[in-house]
Amino acid sequence: MPVVELARVTKAYESKVAVNKLCLSIEPGQIFGLLGPNGAGKTSSIRMMMGITLPDAGTISLFGKPFVRNSLERVGYLPEERGLYKKMKVSDQLVFFGCLHGLQAAEARERAVAWAARMEIADALPKKTEELSKGMQQKIQFIATLLHSPELIVMDEPFSGLDPVNAVLVEKTLLELKEQGKAIVFSTHRMDQVEKLCDSICLINNGEAVLSGNLRQIKKGYERNRVIVEFEGSSDFLKSGEIAEARNFSGHAEIKLKPHGDAQKLLHEAAAAATIYRFELVEPSLEEIFIETVGGKADA
Amino acid sequence: MHNILLIAKREYLEQIRGRAFKISTVMVPVLIVVLMVWSSWNEHNAGTGMHIAIASNSAPLANAISREITADKDAKFTIDVVAPATEAERDSLQSQIQSKALDGVLTVDESANGVKSATYVSLSSGDFSGSWRMANAMNRAVASQRLIAKGVKEADADAALQYLSIDNLQLKKNGTIGKSKGVSPFIKMMMMLLLLSMPIMLYGLDMARAIIEEKTSRIFEVMLAIARPDELLTGKLLGVGGVGLTQIAIWVIAATVFMGSSLAAAALTGNFAIHFSLMEGLLFPVYFVLGFALFSTMFSGLAATCETSQDLQKFMLLAIIPLYLSMGLLPVLVKDPNSTWSIAASICPLTSAYVMIPRMGLEPVPLWQIATSIILLALSVWAMLWFSSRLYRVGILMYGKRATLPEIMRWLRYS
Repeated sequence: MPVVELARVTKAYESKVAVNKLCLSIEPGQIFGLLGPNGAGKTSSIRMMMGITLPDAGTISLFGKPFVRNSLERVGYLPEERGLYKKMKVSDQLVFFGCLHGLQAAEARERAVAWAARMEIADALPKKTEELSKGMQQKIQFIATLLHSPELIVMDEPFSGLDPVNAVLVEKTLLELKEQGKAIVFSTHRMDQVEKLCDSICLINNGEAVLSGNLRQIKKGYERNRVIVEFEGSSDFLKSGEIAEARNFSGHAEIKLKPHGDAQKLLHEAAAAATIYRFELVEPSLEEIFIETVGGKADA
Repeated sequence: MHNILLIAKREYLEQIRGRAFKISTVMVPVLIVVLMVWSSWNEHNAGTGMHIAIASNSAPLANAISREITADKDAKFTIDVVAPATEAERDSLQSQIQSKALDGVLTVDESANGVKSATYVSLSSGDFSGSWRMANAMNRAVASQRLIAKGVKEADADAALQYLSIDNLQLKKNGTIGKSKGVSPFIKMMMMLLLLSMPIMLYGLDMARAIIEEKTSRIFEVMLAIARPDELLTGKLLGVGGVGLTQIAIWVIAATVFMGSSLAAAALTGNFAIHFSLMEGLLFPVYFVLGFALFSTMFSGLAATCETSQDLQKFMLLAIIPLYLSMGLLPVLVKDPNSTWSIAASICPLTSAYVMIPRMGLEPVPLWQIATSIILLALSVWAMLWFSSRLYRVGILMYGKRATLPEIMRWLRYS
C-alpha cells in the first residue's frame, strides 16, 4: 500500500498552472526524489501533500486513505526555508512541535534529548535558536521533523546549510530511517545525493511529470555512451573523431561519445597516447539526464 | 482544540517570559500615575503665581482691580500698578514682557463717558485660567466703582458683590441627593480608557508584528503542516489575549493593594476618591477581550499581507482613528454621558470597547445599551474573524509579493 499517492493532481494560481495532472506513488521503505527546475511545481506539490494548500482537481491519499488532517500526525515535514522560533529555547521548541504531533510533553522531551545526542548537538538544547549557527538550526529542524517517528518524511532541501561531515550524518540517518520502513520524499538540487540515496524519482517541469520511476531503471533506459578515463600522458586522444564532447580535469576526462561512436577505437587511441588507469563506459549521470530532459535549464 | 491550546500556551508563556511584558507591566501604571499627578498639579496651579502690571488712566480703578485680584489668596499674584500711565510707561511695560520681567500687562482705561476698555498682553496666548481670574476680579472692581459712584457706601457695595460659590450636588437614581464626586469620575474615566486602550493597542500590534516575523522566518510553512490556519490564528489570539488579561489582573491586584495602603488613603480622598461598581468589574474583562479580539483579528489579517513591519505602518491609522475618536469624545462624555454622541460611541463597535466602561464610571448606563453594545461588538469580532482568516490563509504563504488592494481582493476570492 503506497504511503502517499497523488492522482491527477492539479493546482492553478490565477492563470498560472503550478501543477498539472501530477501522478506519483511512494511506497514504505523507499526514498523518493522530487526534482525539477525552479518554479517547476515541486513546492506546490509538497504543499498539497502536506495539506497546506488544497488541489483544484485530483486526489491525494495518505496511508491508503483520502487525505485527512489527522493523518499529518504520522508525517514529518522539513520545508526548504527553516521555520523555527528564534527566541525560543531549542528544547522547548522541540517539545512544542512534538506535542503538536500528538506526543506527551515528557515523552517529547525524552526523545528530544536522545535525538540531540544522536545528531551531536546535545549542547544546543538549553540555548535559544537565534544563538545557533545555520547548520545547527538545520539539525534542530531535522530533529523536529523526526521527533514523533513519522511514517512519511517529506524534506525540501534537507542538506542545505550542512557541512560535509553533518551532511554525511544526515544521509546516514535517512538511510537508517529507510531501513526502518519509513517512506522519505525529498526535493534537492544536489543530483549526486539523489543518485546516492533515492530509489525512485519524479522529475517535474512546468507542473508536469516528465520523467518518473525507479532510478536504476531510468538510467538503464539511456545508452551507455559516456566514458570516464583516468590517464597520465598526452591528452591528444580527446580530439578523437569518436567524441562528441569532452571535459578534461588534468588526468580525469569525462567524455560523451558521438551517436554510434566506437568506444573500443577510442580506447586504442587513448592507450597509444597515454598510460590509462581507468577506462569505463557508463550511463549518463542524473544531472545529464536532468538537463537533457528539462531542455537545458540549469538548476533543479 | 488540542492544537489551539498548545499554540495559545506557547504564545502565552513566551510573551510572559519576555522582557517587553515585564517592562510594560511596570511602565504603564507608572505612566498613568504620572499623567494623573501631572494633570492634577497642572489644574491646581493653572493661572497662579503670576507677576503682572495694571496700567490705567484711572488710579482708583487700577487700585480697586489690584485689591480684588490680591484678595484671591489662591491666585498668589504679584501686581505692579502704573496709574495714571503715560504712553512711555506703557511702552516700557511691554518691553518688560519681552524681557520676561513681567508675565503680562492688564490695561484698563476709562473714557470720558465712563466706558471702560480692557486688554491683557502677554507672551502666552492660552492661559485661560489666569485670564479668567483677572476678568472676574476686574468686573467686581468695576461694579464696585459704579455702585460707589451711584452713592452706595463702599461696605455696602462689597457686601452686594460678595462671591458666592456653587456646591455641586448630584441627584442619584434612587432620588437621593449626594455630594458630587468632584474630579474623581474624570480621573477614573481616563484611567479606564488607558487601561483598556493601551493593552488592546500594544498587544494587537505586537501580534501583528509577530505574524510578520513568523511569515518572513517561514515558521508558518512548518506550522501549517500540523495545524489549520484558523487554529493558528485562534491559538495566537487566545495566547496573546491571555497575556493582556494577566497584565490587567496584575495591575488590578497592585491597585487593590495600593488602595488599601495609607498612602492611597491620603491621596485618594475627597475629589480624588475612586470607586468601582461590581458591574464595571464584571464588564471590564468582557470589553477588553472583545476589543482585543476585534483589533487583533483585524491586524492579524492585515499583517499576513505584509512583508515587513514597515508595510504594517500604512494600516496604523485603522487602529489609531477609533482610539483618537474615543479620546476626542471624552469632554462630551464628561459633560453629558447620555448625549447622542456618548450613546453612539459606547454602542459603535469600533469605539465601544474604549468608551462604554469609562461612561459607566460617570453614570449608570441602561442595560439595553450595554447588551446592544456587547452584541454588536461580538458580531463585529465574528465578521472580522471571517475577513481576516481568509486574508491570513492566503497571505501567510505569499512571499515577495506586495499586497495591493486588488491583490487583497483576489486573495479573499481564493479562500
